Amino acid sequence: MSRPEASAARVRLDLLDPVDVARLGGLELVSEGIVEGFLSGLHRSPRRGFSVEFAEHRMYQPGDELRYVDWKMLGRSDRLYVKQYEEETNLRAMIVCDASKSMAWSGSPGVVLPKLAYAQRLIASLSLVLLRQRDATGLIVFDDEVRHVTPPRARAAHWRQLLATLSATKPGIGTAAAPALKRVVDTLRRRGLVVFVSDLLLDRELALTALRFLRHRGHQVVVLHLMDPAEVALSGPAEARFEDPETGASVVLRPRDWADAYDKTVKGAVSGWNAACRRSGIKYHRIVTDTPFGHALRVVLANSPA
Amino acid sequence: MIFLHPWLLAGLLAAGVPLLLHLVQRREPPTIVFPAVRYLLDATREHQRRLRIRHWLLLLLRTLLIVALVLAAAGPTVRRSGVTGHAPSALVLVVDNSLSSAAIVGGTPRIEQLVRAADGVLARATPGDALWLIVADGAARRGDPATLRAALRALTPSTTRLDLGSAVRAAGEVLSTEALPGEIVVVTDLQATALGAATARAPVTVARPEGAVPGNIGVAGLLAGSQPWSTDGGQVQVTVVGDSAAQVPLQLTAGDRPARQALATVGGAVQVAVAGASAGWYALRATIQPDELRLDDQRVLGLRMAPLARASCAPAGRFAEAACDVLRSNGRLLPGEDVVLAGFGPVASVILPPADPASLGAVNRELERRGVTWRFGDPAPAGSTDSNSVLSPTRLFRRLRLIPSGSGRTGVLVTAAGEPWLVRSGSVLLVGSRLDTAWTALPFQAEFVPFIDVLLNRLARGEVVTLDVPVGTAATLPDLVSTVVKGTQRWPVEGGGRYAPPDTGLYYLLRGTDTVGALAANPDPRESMLQQATDAQVRALWRGAAMVPLDHAASAAFSAGARGDLRGPLLWFALLLGLGEVGLASVWGRRA
Repeated sequence: MSRPEASAARVRLDLLDPVDVARLGGLELVSEGIVEGFLSGLHRSPRRGFSVEFAEHRMYQPGDELRYVDWKMLGRSDRLYVKQYEEETNLRAMIVCDASKSMAWSGSPGVVLPKLAYAQRLIASLSLVLLRQRDATGLIVFDDEVRHVTPPRARAAHWRQLLATLSATKPGIGTAAAPALKRVVDTLRRRGLVVFVSDLLLDRELALTALRFLRHRGHQVVVLHLMDPAEVALSGPAEARFEDPETGASVVLRPRDWADAYDKTVKGAVSGWNAACRRSGIKYHRIVTDTPFGHALRVVLANSPA
Repeated sequence: MIFLHPWLLAGLLAAGVPLLLHLVQRREPPTIVFPAVRYLLDATREHQRRLRIRHWLLLLLRTLLIVALVLAAAGPTVRRSGVTGHAPSALVLVVDNSLSSAAIVGGTPRIEQLVRAADGVLARATPGDALWLIVADGAARRGDPATLRAALRALTPSTTRLDLGSAVRAAGEVLSTEALPGEIVVVTDLQATALGAATARAPVTVARPEGAVPGNIGVAGLLAGSQPWSTDGGQVQVTVVGDSAAQVPLQLTAGDRPARQALATVGGAVQVAVAGASAGWYALRATIQPDELRLDDQRVLGLRMAPLARASCAPAGRFAEAACDVLRSNGRLLPGEDVVLAGFGPVASVILPPADPASLGAVNRELERRGVTWRFGDPAPAGSTDSNSVLSPTRLFRRLRLIPSGSGRTGVLVTAAGEPWLVRSGSVLLVGSRLDTAWTALPFQAEFVPFIDVLLNRLARGEVVTLDVPVGTAATLPDLVSTVVKGTQRWPVEGGGRYAPPDTGLYYLLRGTDTVGALAANPDPRESMLQQATDAQVRALWRGAAMVPLDHAASAAFSAGARGDLRGPLLWFALLLGLGEVGLASVWGRRA
């Protein structure tokens, strides 16, 4: 399969195992393939174009594009005016991506994509879908501080810029979500969509406070909680020291003895996030990184504002 | 608690395995990078205490499981009262049928009481038991109950002594190789003189008679002094021992000659004159009046009477000649040429180194011609004779080495510095030194005349050997003895070997057809002392021994088998522990 686009007619990449999809090519190609497959599977587009509505005239200034010159006004008033339009999109989306060290981890390297790699492809696909709907899409990448901020744009070429940012993203050290979420406020002045992609191995209260603040500002907030399958079900040798790559905290235990207790704890944490988000009107989705991208996209887009 | 297989208790070391594994597994485990450690920490924070308890409980259960299995394998048993039957046991029954068991007590021989008690023990035996019987001969015989009971019924008092300590040790050795729980039952009259220290792993039960012990007197010793006697007779010394200080009439007979009477004091010795008789061997018997123990009322000794030697002492020098004069004047020597001192005689010869060294070769050639297997050799360093029964240590200023010409070195009577000094070959005696003061200090000593007497009357004419040993005790026979004879019984023997007389009596030692000695086999004098040892004395020597009357011997026996077997309960306990371990490891594990 040399080109995902060509193969999409036969195989829907959005339904394949993420790690198989990732092997097919670079971020751009596989994302396009995922989106093609995803869109071909929809009965109708979730977004129907955008409106280009005239807003006002203003005096022409050197440098303005000639195509926006109102030639009729020139004929009537002999003055050069340019037309200004309403925003070219009906949605502004900001995707906030966690690039901390824990996101670079995979419980089964080669079998399951690291959470960050999964997030990169998911965000690339999501942003492509949004951009194709003429939704302005931006990206903030953070670890223990904000690394990249790409303001939302609706141009088709903007996707390449997002891809470049995603491709250049390297895992950092710690996780500090609150500053990144606050940057959303600066870059998303109007109400929009905020998609927070993270493994949520961070300061829960700070992150929730920031997310609630965004919600308070009128944004639709979607939290995508990425989890590696190995984080869902505990396994390992008879006894092992488990060490947090970010904080260095460790604990020695026998996975066999603790599997059930761990499962309960994880379920409790997930339900805790879910409940806290629901109380604040935040959409929360747990996505395990062996889930096909199409399913993840469907979950996200089905809950995004219409 | 007694274990059937105590060596398996070494497996208890395995009980440390769970703990060892626990410690080993406490080593630094491999590190796994895991971002969701916070969830693990939350989980452990909640369940850590319960899991730690579970771990220790599992460790305890596993350790107890191993201990229970090892203990069960070792076969523990505990003493349990009220048990009518008994588990298969190994029992060694020691029946003391030594000479003292022949004593009549209450109108019946003690042996009958002992046999009855021992038979009661064997009557309780089952086919599953391993049984041994040890009697006075000391040999452990294994057999089924019927066989051993038959042997028991045929048991009679032995004339030998039984050392109870040795018997218990032998029983312990027998049981040491037996897997069944073992015990030793000693049925004995418990003579104090028969008691000896012993250590046995198996429990020892001593069944002994109760009540008064009869007094007894026996002839303990009979000495005839130096032999052969002359045909003029001599004196014997008789020793009488017993449990009283009374005097007893004593009768002494030599062959079929009229008996001599005497009164002997118990615990003392009495000298009794024996009249002369013609040359020959006589059975000398000392007999006292019969009492409750008959077997020690008589003692026997071989007595040799021979005519005095007719000797010529002139060639030996003035010192020897003077000694011979003394002997002749005291009736110990007769003039004649049968025995020649320092010269070759027609019957016997005592050859000394020649005064003239030049004639040494001629002497050696004459010795060779007469078939003597010894020669005079080179001068040897001065020194002393070694201590022996013929001559006490005596200084030698000069001596010649005596060199055996044959293949062997037999007939050595006296040595000096380990080398032969006085030897005999046939009827020829060779002395390494001349009997004068230039060669030896012997003429200066009081022992010189008796030495000449022994030399001429005993050694030159062939030494008479009279041995006196307890029955069953081996004695070393003189060289060249070929046959032992008692009445019509004959035992071919090898000279220099050991021979144990099977019964009391007088045994003659024959070289070909010549009688060269006598072996008297008499009871061990210690058997005459019937005094019984106390229980405390027994327990001091045999730690933990149980003392019971003869009547209770049967009920006290098989105590090792009449024990509760703990293997079953232990295996059930182990099963419960195993189930508990499985339950704890699985059910509780899931709950955790």
